[in-house]
Amino acid sequence: MLGRTEILFKWLLYASGVLICWMLHGVALQFLDIFGVMPFVFPMLAAVIAMYEGPLAGSICALVLGVVCDLTIAAPIPCFYTLVFPIIGMLAGLISKNWIPMGFWCACLLSVLAFVLTDGFHCLLLALTGSRHAMSTAMSLAIRETGSSLPFLIPVYLVFRRIHEICHVYD
Amino acid sequence: MKKFLKDYGLWILFATAVIAVALAVMSFFASTSSPLVNLAGVLSSPFRNAYSALANWATEQQAYFADNQALLEENQALRNQIAEMEREMRLAKDDSEENARLRKLLELREKRRDFQFEAANITQQSSSNWISSLTLNRGTLHGVAVNNCVVTEEGFLAGIVTEVGLNWCTVLTVLDTDTSLGALVFRSGDVAVAQGDFVLMNEGRLSLTYLPADCELLIGDLVVTSGLGGYYPADLVIGKVESLQLDDSGSTRFAVVKPSAQLDELKQVFIIKSFDIVT
Repeated sequence: MLGRTEILFKWLLYASGVLICWMLHGVALQFLDIFGVMPFVFPMLAAVIAMYEGPLAGSICALVLGVVCDLTIAAPIPCFYTLVFPIIGMLAGLISKNWIPMGFWCACLLSVLAFVLTDGFHCLLLALTGSRHAMSTAMSLAIRETGSSLPFLIPVYLVFRRIHEICHVYD
Repeated sequence: MKKFLKDYGLWILFATAVIAVALAVMSFFASTSSPLVNLAGVLSSPFRNAYSALANWATEQQAYFADNQALLEENQALRNQIAEMEREMRLAKDDSEENARLRKLLELREKRRDFQFEAANITQQSSSNWISSLTLNRGTLHGVAVNNCVVTEEGFLAGIVTEVGLNWCTVLTVLDTDTSLGALVFRSGDVAVAQGDFVLMNEGRLSLTYLPADCELLIGDLVVTSGLGGYYPADLVIGKVESLQLDDSGSTRFAVVKPSAQLDELKQVFIIKSFDIVT
């Protein structure tokens, strides 16, 4: 059981990890072109943190991350990531707690799930705005985005695993 | 799992809904950008400037070591282009003088366009794969407003300002699905609507829809802004017609337009803050 100071320290470390990923996205990832798309790491961050911290803390953290993304990244609707990320956080936390033990393969599966949910919501909005003819293009984009982003799960996973190890050394 | 959903699930859902509604309401009622988005943009703008400076430096270094032969060939092609343009300019000068004489003869008033430009650097290309946008380093401090047109240095339309903060603004490019502009086919004078389409956006193209039934388009026809309603300035070049297609129902024609602005290669653009067309 962590004390109040340790909890604060843990979340500061998580916030630093997210900040590093955000800066990496700005410096390098947004200029990369893999399969015609740029890698997008934020859904993976929500999934990996929730995998380590469980459904409640993971959902709240994902909600905050969603709000930050909505404030800084242009999206089809003003609350796009605020709506999707808490669901990712909750599902990732529940899956890692009840079914698949946390680890790299669990993080892989949860990241794919995160992209399915995020890109699925994009497709839903496209369908609602009358672009049903664009579904095959949207599916192709979703697959390429997931494929181009997954290799970056390795550094993301290593960073957040290290943070988890530092903070839960006596667990 | 059931216990978790019972104990906390509804609370998380409630918090999510409240925050989402708050963001949506703030966005709906803001004429420029919501206060929180504005603050986030201001705080992140130094980082965006730093990223773009770094990226530009890397691109310049890469270009420095680019293939010398390709540069020589490009240089020769540009020399030929300059010679051709000089010839066209001499012809245009004669046409312009003739135009002035004829206007005087017919007692027509001269038509001119007054634009007030603001130069801006692109600090971020599209931040997501699902939209086509640019973030610029100019905002309300510099007199930029929502719905200002953004053009390239050649005068080609790049997009429309959709959100403005203190020292930043977001531009949706002509390719984005939310962009819709009154357009005019320069050769025939037919009025239509140039709008983004998700499928075409991924190919770097946009569509020209609501074409008149008797409209006869040719491949290569120039498409410009119509300026109807005075919402956007007229005669800004959008692009050229690349092909004609039928929609999914097979009953309506639309044209695929290739934008004249090289949106992927832009570094600097010009925001038209105000315009005044005198006829």
